[in-house]
Parts: sequence; C-alpha cells; structure tokens
Amino acid sequence: MRPIVQVRSLSKSYRLGRAAQGGRQRPGRDAFIWALREVSFEVLPGEVVGIVGRNGAGKSTLLKILSRIVRPTEGEVDIYGRLGSLLEIGMGFHPDLTGRENVYLNGAIIGMSRGEIRRKFDEIVAFSELEEFLDTPVKHYSSGMYLRLAFSVAAHFEPEVLVLDEVLAVGDAAFQQKCYRKMQDVIQEGRTIFFVSHDPSSVTRLCGRALLIESGRLKDDGPAETVVRRYLDGVNSEVSSV
Amino acid sequence: MWAHRELLYFLIWRDLKVRYKQTALGPAWVVLQPLLMALVFTVFMGWLARVPSDGVPYPLFAYAGLVPWTFFSSAVATAGNGLVPNAQMLTKVFFPRMLIHLALTGVRLTDLLVSFVVLLLLMLGYGVGVGRGILLLPVLVLQATLLAVGVALWFSARIVRRRDYATLLPVLLQAWMFASPVIYPSRLVPERWRLLYSLNPLAGVIEGFRSALFGLPLDWAGMAVSGVVTLLLLAYSVRSFLRADENLVDII
Repeated sequence: MRPIVQVRSLSKSYRLGRAAQGGRQRPGRDAFIWALREVSFEVLPGEVVGIVGRNGAGKSTLLKILSRIVRPTEGEVDIYGRLGSLLEIGMGFHPDLTGRENVYLNGAIIGMSRGEIRRKFDEIVAFSELEEFLDTPVKHYSSGMYLRLAFSVAAHFEPEVLVLDEVLAVGDAAFQQKCYRKMQDVIQEGRTIFFVSHDPSSVTRLCGRALLIESGRLKDDGPAETVVRRYLDGVNSEVSSV
Repeated sequence: MWAHRELLYFLIWRDLKVRYKQTALGPAWVVLQPLLMALVFTVFMGWLARVPSDGVPYPLFAYAGLVPWTFFSSAVATAGNGLVPNAQMLTKVFFPRMLIHLALTGVRLTDLLVSFVVLLLLMLGYGVGVGRGILLLPVLVLQATLLAVGVALWFSARIVRRRDYATLLPVLLQAWMFASPVIYPSRLVPERWRLLYSLNPLAGVIEGFRSALFGLPLDWAGMAVSGVVTLLLLAYSVRSFLRADENLVDII
C-alpha cells in the first residue's frame, strides 16, 4: 500500500533570545535550539499513530508542521489527501455569538464547507445535548457546555488525515465516555489519525502505532503498547534516580 | 485561496455581527463618523480657510472625499493590525494568512456601501445631479481596495516583527490624508508638483471618485499613473508578505 503521509528528515530550529522576536542575530549571544531533528517516518492509510514524549520534546512542533501551520527548517512533508487538524477545540468561538452561529463559524475555521456543516448540523447539536441553548450567546454557557459544543463540531470533522492534540478530555465523566466512543467510531471508519496525548493509556487504547519523541529526535517507532511501555520505563527510571 | 472563500465569508459575517453589540447607536456609526468629520472640516476648511470646492457645496465636497478616504484608512488601520490579535488562531489552524486582510477590508467595504448611499441622499438634498461618471466608481473602489490590502499586508508583516510599526501606522495615515485631495481639490497643488502628487495612488482614486460622481472633468493621465502605482505597490506588498509569511508564526 502507498503511504498517505511521508515525512523525510524533518528538522525545525527556533532561535532563542532577542533573535526569537525577529531581531538581528547577535553572534555568540543568541543561540538556537533544534525542536525537531532529522525525523523521518511514513504512515499508511488508516493507521492511527500516537505521538508520545515529555513536555518540550517536540510533539507539538511536529503536529504544527504536519498541519502546515509552521514551516520546517529542513526536510519535507508530503500528504496525499485532505488534512485537517484540531490542535485546540472551539477555535474562533466568539462569546457574543449564539451556539448556532459559533457552530458555523468554528466549522468554517477548522476547514469544513458550509454544505458539510449544514448537513451535519443536527447531528452536531444532538451530540452536544445543547438543543435548548442553541440561540443563546455562548458567553452565557457554563465552561462545560462551551467545551461540549466545541468538541461536537470537532468530532464531526472528517478529513482523510486528522491531526489531534489532546482534545479528548472534555466535559464530565459521562460526556468524556461519549467522546471516547466517538473517537473509536472515527478510527474504525479507516481514517488516518495522528494523536498527541499526555495520557499514555489513551494512546494504547486508541492507537495501533506510536512514535516516541525525545529532545526533538524520533527515539522509537512501533506498536503502541511497546513504545508507550518504553516511554513510561524511561520516565520512571528518571524519576526514581532523583 | 479560492478553496477558502467560505471562511472569508464567515470571517466578514462574524465581524459585522459582533461589531455593534455593545454600542447604543449601532450601525449608524458607519455614517456618523464621516458625517461628523465632514462637519468639522466644513467649519475649519470651508468657512475659516475658505478652501475652494470645485463649485460643489463644501460639506458635500468634503463628505464625498471622506467616503473613499474613510474606507481606505480604516481598512488599512484594521487589516494592518489584523495579525497580532488573531495570533491564537494563526498558531493553531492553517489557512492562507491573507484571508485576514481580505476579511477586515471586506468589512470596511460594506461600510463604504452604506456611507455611499448617504452620499447619494446628500446630493439629492443639495440638488446636485449625479454624473454619468458614476459608472466608473466600481473601478475606483476596486483600486482603493487593492491599495488598502497592499498597504495592510506590508504593515502587518512588519508589525508582527516590530510593534513600532503599529505606532507609526496612524501617523502615516494622518499624513497620507493631507497628501491626498480629501478636503481640498487637487488643483490647489501647483502645476509643477502635480506629477509628483499623482504618484500618491490615492490622489487619483479620491479625485476620480469625486469628479466622476459630480460630473466634473476627469484627469485621465493622473488616474492612469495612480492605477499603475497601485498595481506595482500591490505586487511588491504581496511578494514581501509571502516571504515574511515563512516564519510569521514563529515570531508572532
């Protein structure tokens, strides 16, 4: 099978100090760091790939490059299909607009067409369980309601390649269960998914394969359970040695 | 870009919808602002300084210049400052960045439409007939739009890097207004400076706008120069913006 995503020796450097604000580089004083270094992998259609690693390891940078938000310093990414990313839910929600208006706005921002939103509108609203509050400005919503509506739009976004950043933990326990079931449905539909989470158990439950990123480098790539176990072992040995 | 036209529509729609939420006068401000400005200039320029107005009553003359000027300056001011307030969105989702400039300019375009209707009513009130040149107005508005987007693109990329440009922008706009025939006719400019003056692309737009509307003779040469300058400026700005766009998100 032909890969749907190809990442070839991807590197991203960020400048530190004054240069990070777009100023001139001062020799010897402004350093730069490699947020990603020579990362390469391929993903086949339908694979669900978890990305694990500690804070600052480069996970988010990788997702942002995959999503075309950030440009790599070196290397290339090829994606053969429509890509959508959810790095945050409720993007562009405006407090003064009603729930209904925000569904359309947010849908358009994440990349859904108007027809697509209209088609799925009832489903989105039913999923959020907020039928009665649709014409209320979202500034009067509780934070739980707000997140439920935001997740519901996100959950009905169906690109061929989906990039997800920790958007699962939303709402109360019951709603979280529902989100989780929805995620499993999405996965079973055979979409290609990248998934970053700090919760190793959700990676093993949802993903078949995982990438371990450490200090910008791809340290491990294989079945999710093996990679996550290796990641946790590494973290534990470091914690116990302190 | 074309693939994102629906998002453009939604961004304009959001701004229009949200804009007057906490104001008492609401959309009336679209018209009140240039009207009040016209009143101020009528008192100081029309009555005190006795600036000539090409045979048109001065208040009407000033308002007809302020309609395109207000569109241009408010579009540049909002779209030029448009990237930083949207940093959250820019760093979390991909879409062509220029959509922000187009959306903010689009919002001002709707304002222009409203204030233009009031301009027509004023002409009716003053008994000034509409010239055949009115057919030229869409072209001039398009030119003003391209010019505003161009200037805004250039400034927005600079502002992301150095916020100093955000402070500079209103100063520049103020100077630009006096360098354009908004509250005086361009024939006040001495003949030998006229060519230099017409290098300001907005001079051709505003003078053309008013002449076309009031049926005054058009300065075709000046308008041609202004059109060419507009296109050059736009091409330069787009190029420079696309280059800056490569690492805008890293800096913002």
